[in-house]
Amino acid sequence: MSSRRRRWPAELPTTQAGLERAFSYFVAGVRLGTLAQMVPAVGIGVQTSPRPAAYLVCWLAAAGASVAGSVVALVRRRPLGTAASVADLALAGLLLVLAPLVLAPEVLLGTWMAYQPAYALSIIITASGVRGLVLWAGGLAGLIACYVVYLGGDVSGPVAPTAVGNILTYVVYGLVCRMFFGYTRRIAADADASRAHAAELARREEERRAQIVMHNGVAVMRLLTESGTDTSRSALIDLAEAELQRMRSYLRGRSPDGPEPGDAETVALAPVVERVCGRFPDLPLDALLDLGAEVRVAAAHADALERALESLLINVRAHARAYSVVVHLDHGPDGWTLTVRDDGVGFDPAATGVGLREVVVGELARHGMRVEIESAFGDGTTVTVTGGPAAAPVRSPRDDLVEAE
Amino acid sequence: MRPAVAVVDDASLIRDSIGLLMPGLDVVFAAATVEEVVRARPRADLVVLDLHLTNLDQPPGVRQGIAAIRALTGCGYRVCVYTQEERRFVLAACIAAGAAGVAAKALPTARAEQLFLEVATGGTVVPQPVVGILEVLVRRDCITLLSERQRQLLHGRARGLSYAQLAKRLYVSESTLRGYWLDLTRSLSESLRNLTPGEIEHTLGLAPGDLLEFWSSETTDTAHWWRTGAGTQHTL
Repeated sequence: MSSRRRRWPAELPTTQAGLERAFSYFVAGVRLGTLAQMVPAVGIGVQTSPRPAAYLVCWLAAAGASVAGSVVALVRRRPLGTAASVADLALAGLLLVLAPLVLAPEVLLGTWMAYQPAYALSIIITASGVRGLVLWAGGLAGLIACYVVYLGGDVSGPVAPTAVGNILTYVVYGLVCRMFFGYTRRIAADADASRAHAAELARREEERRAQIVMHNGVAVMRLLTESGTDTSRSALIDLAEAELQRMRSYLRGRSPDGPEPGDAETVALAPVVERVCGRFPDLPLDALLDLGAEVRVAAAHADALERALESLLINVRAHARAYSVVVHLDHGPDGWTLTVRDDGVGFDPAATGVGLREVVVGELARHGMRVEIESAFGDGTTVTVTGGPAAAPVRSPRDDLVEAE
Repeated sequence: MRPAVAVVDDASLIRDSIGLLMPGLDVVFAAATVEEVVRARPRADLVVLDLHLTNLDQPPGVRQGIAAIRALTGCGYRVCVYTQEERRFVLAACIAAGAAGVAAKALPTARAEQLFLEVATGGTVVPQPVVGILEVLVRRDCITLLSERQRQLLHGRARGLSYAQLAKRLYVSESTLRGYWLDLTRSLSESLRNLTPGEIEHTLGLAPGDLLEFWSSETTDTAHWWRTGAGTQHTL
């Protein structure tokens, strides 16, 4: 039983539909709870009534409406609709108006023989979930008027405090329940909208990850199919194997980034750059990495940089027709800088493709690196990636001398 | 006017075809060894020199590599090395030995011709890996550059930036920058020449002795100056 109690809330989703279902439980609970309070007094109510048969008919009408309203709400999995609420309010009002005819005057206030005011309160509470504001306000006002009729139109004298208190109970409970229904519905609507937004963002993120992982592989496959000779194809084999590994990891559900950003694991950047450059033996490429030999970055950043550099060099191979490609790594007080320069044909930086936009600029920006692309037709391309903080600078002989002094 | 060029290469195909393939050059002399050039002393604005000049057909003891560069510069020639060599310290040693330029045989013919013309007309062609070494030596105070403009220029050239890009960044004309670069490379080559292998090894974080087998010295006219260490490339 206890395990069932633990499961029950989890089965009720926190969506708009789930909330309406919770409201249906609330409605049924209030109505059936009121009915349960009415039952013990029904016998004595009939005995003391000046019109026992009429009293019993009215009581059965109230009980039947309570049960029927509860069943309908539970079956529909939402509170009663407009028509049912109108009927509910009308019945509660009618029972209040008829009450003086079926009740002894001395039981009108403060007894469960006179169940009608309590029944009317249960209707006010459960009808607060009705959508129309006019219906709700009109119903509340009508029941208050009916309650005044119930009191014989006299709310003065010794009954005044109780009468006013009961009327205020109607007003306050009505307002509070109305606000409760309205506010929780807004929360559920916002939650649904947020879920939809999150799902859309997740879809876009997955699409972006797929683009990032697949882009270089697709470019390599295109080069493999376009390259004319076995020699030019063999130069692509290392690159193709690296891309194959990356795509396989992605399809197995592993993050292409490896460890998450912020992971304490760091790697030296120069060997990563050197490894990528080694996959392009057919490019006239010079890798000048001495000045950045001490640079270390988070492993996830290194993975992103590896993909980005590979994408840049694939672009150079495919489009640049360059005589010279320079990959230069440096660091200074403000951080490290990786420069990739080719003297090829250049392009319009405003019209970048997926590779530059997502794999290079977008992906590196997500890892906190800055990318600057400078290119013009006929004047080659320079891509500068900066990040930080810088690793400890390499000591110069002059540093040693200064310390020795 | 086409510059007069002497070609030294043990491959007869290159000796015979370079003049045909590079119409901007006037090839006045072609030889398989440096010794022939030294003996003939042709009038040439430039000597295009292959680094590796020994083969089964060559007489034993021919100069090659650093010794060949030294022999030619000693006779007053401007030398541009034309080689398949890619090891950066070998290329740096060539510059330190007095070569005014180094061009890779992998370059397209037109590009190589352009570089030869640049060297023949007084320019210098420093390979990018050597520019990188020079930048490290300057940054680590092994070579002193007095001018901030020189540092900026070296900084840009080490990253492969074009004269046009640098001219925009430094607010000077391209021709001015070319002049600066010529002066700077001459100055850096001179500084490089005056460094010992030990100083360079220390600055670059190499192990002692790593450079001895390719760096310039008075005893480099051996037949095995190009010998490679374990794990290095054999590209000759």
